[in-house]
Amino acid sequence: MNDWPPVNPIRLHRQLSAIWDTPPGLARLSAVNHSIVGRRFMVTAFVFFAIGGLLAMLIRAQLATSGSAFVGPELYGQIFTMHGTVMMFLFAIPMFEGLAIYLLPKLLGARDMAFPRLSAYGYWCYLFGGAILIGAMAAGVAPDKGWFMYTPLSSSAHSPGINADVWLLGVTFVEISALSAAIEIAVSVLKVRAPGMSIDRMPILAWYLLVTAFMMLLGFPPLILGSILLELERAFYLPFFDPARGGDALLWQHLFWLFGHPEVYIIFLPAAGVISTMIPTFARRELVGYRAVILAVIAVAFLSFGLWVHHMFTVGIPHMALAFFSAASGLVAIPTAVQIFAWIATLAQGRPRFDVPMLYLGGFFVVFVIGGLTGVMLAMVPFNWQAHDTHFVVAHLHYVLVGGFVFPMLAAAYYWLPHFTGRVAEHRLSVAAFWLIFGGFNLTFFLMHLTGLRGMPRRVDSYPAEALWDWLNLLSSVGGFLMAAGFALFVADLVVQIRFGRRFRRNPWRARSLEWAMPTPPAPYNFASLPHVTDRAERLDPSRAGAALAGGRGYLAHARNGWLETLGVEMTGGAIDAIVVLPRRTFLPLWSGLLTGGFVLCLLFKFYLLSLVFLALTVASFLAWTRGTGARQDMSLLPVGRGKQALPHWQTERPPSWWAMVFACVAEATLFASLLFGALFLWVVAPGWPPPAPAIPNLLLLAACAGLLSFGAFAGGAAVSRLGVSRSPAGWLALCLASQGVATLLFLILALGGPDPTAHAHNATAFVIFVHGGVRAAIATLLAGYGLWRAGSGYLSSARSLDLRIGQLWHRYAAGSGLVSLAAPLALALLAGSGEAGQ
Amino acid sequence: MSGRALLGLGAGFAVWASAFVALYAMLSVGCRFGWEGVELLPGLSAQRAQLILLLALHLGVGAVLAVRFRVPPHGPFLWRLSYLAAVAALAASLFTFAGVLVLSSCA
Repeated sequence: MNDWPPVNPIRLHRQLSAIWDTPPGLARLSAVNHSIVGRRFMVTAFVFFAIGGLLAMLIRAQLATSGSAFVGPELYGQIFTMHGTVMMFLFAIPMFEGLAIYLLPKLLGARDMAFPRLSAYGYWCYLFGGAILIGAMAAGVAPDKGWFMYTPLSSSAHSPGINADVWLLGVTFVEISALSAAIEIAVSVLKVRAPGMSIDRMPILAWYLLVTAFMMLLGFPPLILGSILLELERAFYLPFFDPARGGDALLWQHLFWLFGHPEVYIIFLPAAGVISTMIPTFARRELVGYRAVILAVIAVAFLSFGLWVHHMFTVGIPHMALAFFSAASGLVAIPTAVQIFAWIATLAQGRPRFDVPMLYLGGFFVVFVIGGLTGVMLAMVPFNWQAHDTHFVVAHLHYVLVGGFVFPMLAAAYYWLPHFTGRVAEHRLSVAAFWLIFGGFNLTFFLMHLTGLRGMPRRVDSYPAEALWDWLNLLSSVGGFLMAAGFALFVADLVVQIRFGRRFRRNPWRARSLEWAMPTPPAPYNFASLPHVTDRAERLDPSRAGAALAGGRGYLAHARNGWLETLGVEMTGGAIDAIVVLPRRTFLPLWSGLLTGGFVLCLLFKFYLLSLVFLALTVASFLAWTRGTGARQDMSLLPVGRGKQALPHWQTERPPSWWAMVFACVAEATLFASLLFGALFLWVVAPGWPPPAPAIPNLLLLAACAGLLSFGAFAGGAAVSRLGVSRSPAGWLALCLASQGVATLLFLILALGGPDPTAHAHNATAFVIFVHGGVRAAIATLLAGYGLWRAGSGYLSSARSLDLRIGQLWHRYAAGSGLVSLAAPLALALLAGSGEAGQ
Repeated sequence: MSGRALLGLGAGFAVWASAFVALYAMLSVGCRFGWEGVELLPGLSAQRAQLILLLALHLGVGAVLAVRFRVPPHGPFLWRLSYLAAVAALAASLFTFAGVLVLSSCA
């Protein structure tokens, strides 16, 4: 049943294309469409992968023989640091982000992600951040202290140039992209799905990506915090990691690996989701243990946050704590194995047919299982002590990451390339490419287990001939070059497929998921009308569904008001709860990315005053995003098709943007919790304590600031209540703005009025906690001002209170966390002198 | 099913994570304040006592969660998943933190 007259599919396509299309040429830079942005992410990530691969070749050339003079130690430091940095930050994470951005709306039966401009902005941040890193390498000032940037090696005393700053600022810039993608993915999966797709009908890949997005929200903030603290130490001499002034180099390791180990699973889980999607297609039966796999993914996500110290087993942590981390490290193998057994069971119970993606998945099984087993070995403390910092670890991590990510991504490339291009491969080169990559990989890295067990340390640029590691290293290098030849063949195969592949009509693999229920390559709006899902999303018949949807026999089979429409649903049940009106293409994300890049470059070159100008311009550009969003009059329920009606999202209770603010608060709270952890860690563990004089803040200022923050939150809530009864919220918003603004100033006074933050880590942590509280209050001030502007512009009414409700969320968070920001330095000052100094 | 039911999926392992943070933090605090050397009972230091107490508290909360979420195998999807996750987290807590009963804490 449809409210709209029968439609001509061609006419509907033309109408939708007129709204959704991005023109070619320079206008392409204004693209926000998920298919374009997703492809951009993937292509850019693959370019960075090629750069990282070339660096790997240089590493293998250097290590092929003992006493090699191919590159000197300084350049070698840059090469291996950039290899790790590029592969982890510029390849793996962005590659899966791109795949998620491209695929998710198609799998979920939607027309785009929840926040297309955020995707585009994330892409520009990624590109510009990566360009800073690669540009620095071209200029010979690339980071050179390892991709983990351990202090004190990366501190200014031992790294006086800008090399380490390039890493800290460049990577943090790229992390903005990762956090924006995390919010985008989480909200899209939870809110922007086809009607009827309840949470137990979601495609398994959506579950994997949802869990991964939450891991990113909790995993990346510790690294961002660590990078900010280290940059503050390097630029302004604040001693967080300097043991002579109450800091501790181990704090960096904790913050880095608190991100770094979940990162491994953040990379693996999306790849596992891809595997869980492909295997049922080739096994010709649905995934065995759908529920068990979801449970395993949740377990992996949590357990992966309890493993980070297994990178630090040799630093002198008490045995009982080592036991916690060792146990958790071994335990994570169980839910991982549950997934592997589910895949094997699916193949065993199905009628498998073999094609190129399956070949690469076979490679995944072999390589990843070996990597998992050596991982269990390394989880055991006594063995870890023996193998720590040797090439055994290098071998293990490559087996896990290449096995757990690269092989599945190669399979995914062959599986979904027909979707991108509308052409299928002849597969003449792909088999040879596989055997070169698989054989070359194992030759390179299996032998590294042996060099490692024979004692060869990591990160060395040469080794003595007497060590007798020459032949193993030479064979590793030969394997590396074979693998490179395999990747070159893979690229050639892709080019051949894109250029000369055979065209097909629809669904070449006879898959049963929604992304194939559309013409390929896909139209920018994905579905001419949106499906109603009545079964698990992987039990569909894409060919029949595709024809029906193209013929307008679904939801939103129209082009209304020139709006880019998709549907928002209730999170678990999948009932329609909003028409989500998406933004049109715009250059604003590009401008915001450029301005953010300007801010980062100013910090890098220490133009601090100018950086404030760029910061203000960046904020102004974000405010410009809001022009044209929402409406100046209330709307009644609008028909969406199939006899259903819904309101535009700005008139609903909890639309995607409301949830985005919730998740942003979660990420921010994680950063804040990491800061408090750092402050407590230094008090408990760091040498050089107690400080000469505890930094007790002014109690009157603390009380005043607490009062203002609480009142600000109250005023923000009162403004919403007043709007709810159709009264002007302006008065309460002005009070909210004033109180949050004064609270910002008081935080600043508290920060600057304390003892010298460069004298001791105790003072420095209090300083940063106050500044951080001030930043949150400043954002609250900005949101209150924004609310005033929206109220004055006629965008608010009792039915259209979303802007204020989003602001209210932040006001509450800023007040709650602000009170902790006020109490923590006081508590730390009172505690500072107690207990014995750490060792 | 409500959106709140989604929180149940992570509830069991959130207790595990809370136990992890609490035990690791209090282990360090106890070492700094020398609680290992304070004997409450013969063979039981203040350090071990507070760690066992923390572990017992978390195991208790985990067990209560598992009981609250308990539904038959074909019960509502999210509830069943939450129940299984709570049971798995309880088992994970026992395995991960069993060391507080026997291992030396500050060496």
